Amino acid sequence: MSKVVGIDLGTTNSLVAYVQDGVPVVIRDKSGDGLVPSVVSVSADGTTHVGREAQRRLLTDANRTVYSVKRFMGKGVEDVGDDGRLLPFRVAGQAGGVVRIGLGDREFTPPEISAQILRELKRRAEAFFAEQGEVDFEVDRAVITVPAYFNDAQRTATRDAGRIAGLEVLRIINEPTAASLAYGLDKRHSGLIAVYDFGGGTFDISILRVEDGVFQVLSTNGDTHLGGDDLDLLLTERVLADLAPETGGLPRTAEFVQEVRRAVIQAKWDLSERDESEIRVGDYRRRVTRAEFEALIQPIVDRTLGPCRQALADAELAPAQIEEVVLVGGSTRIPLVRRLVGELFGRTPHSELNPDEVVALGAAMQADILVTGNREMLLLDVTPLSLGIETMGGVTSKIILRNSTIPATGSEMFTTAVDQQTAVDIHVVQGERELVADNRSLARFKLRGIPPMPAGMPRVQVQFQIDANGILSVTASELRTSVEQAVEVKPSYGLTDEEVERMLIDSFEHAEADFAARLLIEARNEAESVIMATEKSLRAPEFAAIAAADLAAGEQKRIESVLAGLKMVLNSTDRETIQKWTRALNEATQHLAEVIMNRSVQTALSGRSVDEL
Amino acid sequence: MTSDTTARIAQICRTCGGGAPVDLHFCPQCEKILTLGRQGDYFAFLGISRKLNVDTADLEQRFRTLSRQFHPDYFYNAPPAERRASLERASYLNDAYRTLRNPATRIEYLLSVEGMDRRRTERAEGAAAPPADTVPPALLEEVFALNEELDAVREMRAGGARAEEWKGRLERAREPIDAKRAEHEAQVQALAAAWDALIDTTAPASEAGGAPERRRVLEALRERMLERNYITNLLAGIERELETQSGHEVI
Repeated sequence: MSKVVGIDLGTTNSLVAYVQDGVPVVIRDKSGDGLVPSVVSVSADGTTHVGREAQRRLLTDANRTVYSVKRFMGKGVEDVGDDGRLLPFRVAGQAGGVVRIGLGDREFTPPEISAQILRELKRRAEAFFAEQGEVDFEVDRAVITVPAYFNDAQRTATRDAGRIAGLEVLRIINEPTAASLAYGLDKRHSGLIAVYDFGGGTFDISILRVEDGVFQVLSTNGDTHLGGDDLDLLLTERVLADLAPETGGLPRTAEFVQEVRRAVIQAKWDLSERDESEIRVGDYRRRVTRAEFEALIQPIVDRTLGPCRQALADAELAPAQIEEVVLVGGSTRIPLVRRLVGELFGRTPHSELNPDEVVALGAAMQADILVTGNREMLLLDVTPLSLGIETMGGVTSKIILRNSTIPATGSEMFTTAVDQQTAVDIHVVQGERELVADNRSLARFKLRGIPPMPAGMPRVQVQFQIDANGILSVTASELRTSVEQAVEVKPSYGLTDEEVERMLIDSFEHAEADFAARLLIEARNEAESVIMATEKSLRAPEFAAIAAADLAAGEQKRIESVLAGLKMVLNSTDRETIQKWTRALNEATQHLAEVIMNRSVQTALSGRSVDEL
Repeated sequence: MTSDTTARIAQICRTCGGGAPVDLHFCPQCEKILTLGRQGDYFAFLGISRKLNVDTADLEQRFRTLSRQFHPDYFYNAPPAERRASLERASYLNDAYRTLRNPATRIEYLLSVEGMDRRRTERAEGAAAPPADTVPPALLEEVFALNEELDAVREMRAGGARAEEWKGRLERAREPIDAKRAEHEAQVQALAAAWDALIDTTAPASEAGGAPERRRVLEALRERMLERNYITNLLAGIERELETQSGHEVI
């Protein structure tokens, strides 16, 4: 049976976890690192890098590197606005369409970039399962988390990313809810919980009631555009302004901006541990105290409090009624954040679990529930935003209210305005505002095939269904004739099914290129280690003695010439040539290696016999 | 579970073709989840009687228990028909719980299943404007007085009166409306108690020749709900007026 995993597809970092013997575990690389930076870099030759390597390339090849792509998921070009500032990559696309991200001469949609990150996580998990000796180590199904306050377009974009990465997305679940599941694991308690999730790019607050293993979300609120990124941007702009006189109006390269960004992020981290830090960029030095830092970021952190109060009001609860407060997301490491949350709820928040990992752990648990049918726990989530349709005068008529438990349905009756009219246009929006223009446009539908009747006679019932992923589907039927209506969906800021299919095929073709590139890198690594070992032996102090005593005439010369040959082909892109020369060097040095081995064994043996005597 | 619902066979199991009472969720013969039919209502679905005073803790318990029985999470590996049934049943459960949990929506829902709801306005081509509310006769006096006060307040404001002055007058204008609301609240509660008592003693109002007593209570409730919505709008209007800073007209 193939494997299922839970994935936290974060703005800054992404993780993959699975359930082993009932316990969720984060899958780590060999060095114990569970985080894959959500950074993708496409080099000039088309090779794709994801994670740490891509992050390094921000300092050397910034224009071909994209980070925080999550902020662009499900967005249109006109939504980007001010966000494009200081980003090294191009943000483009046609008005009214999906955002496109330009890297070099190629353009990608945000779901395609996210799919690269997902594919990297899939690879990491598969390598891990293979190493565990699993016969069927393929990972083809996953639960993926999204911010609770993500709208339908953003959720759909995330699901599309999963499909492009070759994953069956079992479920899209909300990050704070996933975190509560992981927290509830060892507690078995009941009561009211607030989950405060302040991550790299998004902020969520969810209020839950836990009872009999049912995790019921009572209300949720947030800001999908508020996170650590905003703190970094603020600090980066400060430092750049500081530096302006020194750089004397010289063009700031994208790489330089990234170096500043890296330095301020380091300082931000330091200030969670210490009272003082120093921002260093080249010769520039700037001491920052925690008090200065807090004064600077307070306005941003304060923006999380309004949604908290709204969520409490929607759940009809006072702050004091909340029994536990759970912190999730890297930005909750900041002492000021902890203090403000503590003050709001009047209690010390929980932070026992690693705030970077808890969401992935919860996602893995939900994946396990779905495939095993394990009924110990149940998540009941809500839709974060009201769903409505456009009525006369551009006013929104709400059909499913925010904080409704999902799955949920709503229906609306439509009729015609003109005799013999056979089609009606419907515009679906999401949001709390009165005017359609202030809400998020989700889709436009055309109801066709209405039987021709006098105006006002047809009774077309349109049924809106929000599924357990928080994603909308629409069906319609004319009640007088029971004729099912064809509903054509044109997502306002999404990809059509055909586009997703095409990207999936592209990614398969690309996957082959990726695979070849990886094999080449592996061959080079292998060659490099043989070169290093050989050079070490040749340079060793005892080599002269060995060569004189044990090597055949010309043996050293042969080793040296094969070594030089391998070094020459090392940087070619021809994997087979590199492998051929690597094998040749291995053969040429085989005798030498044996001799060295024998000598060290003899030394060890003689050493011991001396001891024994 | 009421005796009058359990006796009726109202659902047919799509899996084995057997029949089931309207308030069952799983087929008594083959134990598969039942497709949601058109019969039944939120009260029957949750297994409670059509009373207006609901034990909230009991309602929540039923909601959780049923969620655990047919949430889509537990049907991920089931055949498509059962998955569909689970999605429909879970959606219906959520809609039912949300509607019955809130006292106001509970009354409105009762009125609709008893055939007493306000005529639903149909939407033409991208939908019509909200229907212009006519003033309920019982509120004519209050609404007339309030409108006069609002005019006076706006004049004061336009004439540059101090904020505390016109706001004080507005607050005083609000008092009779608040009183009316409290009065309504008490009336609604009395009617709800009367309805609950009738549930135990008389035949359903919706049946032919059904007890006129029931119909009378429901009509009174409908009247109160219309007035109540009107009062809520009036109070919201005053709130908006209070938040006005300058001479802009809001209402």
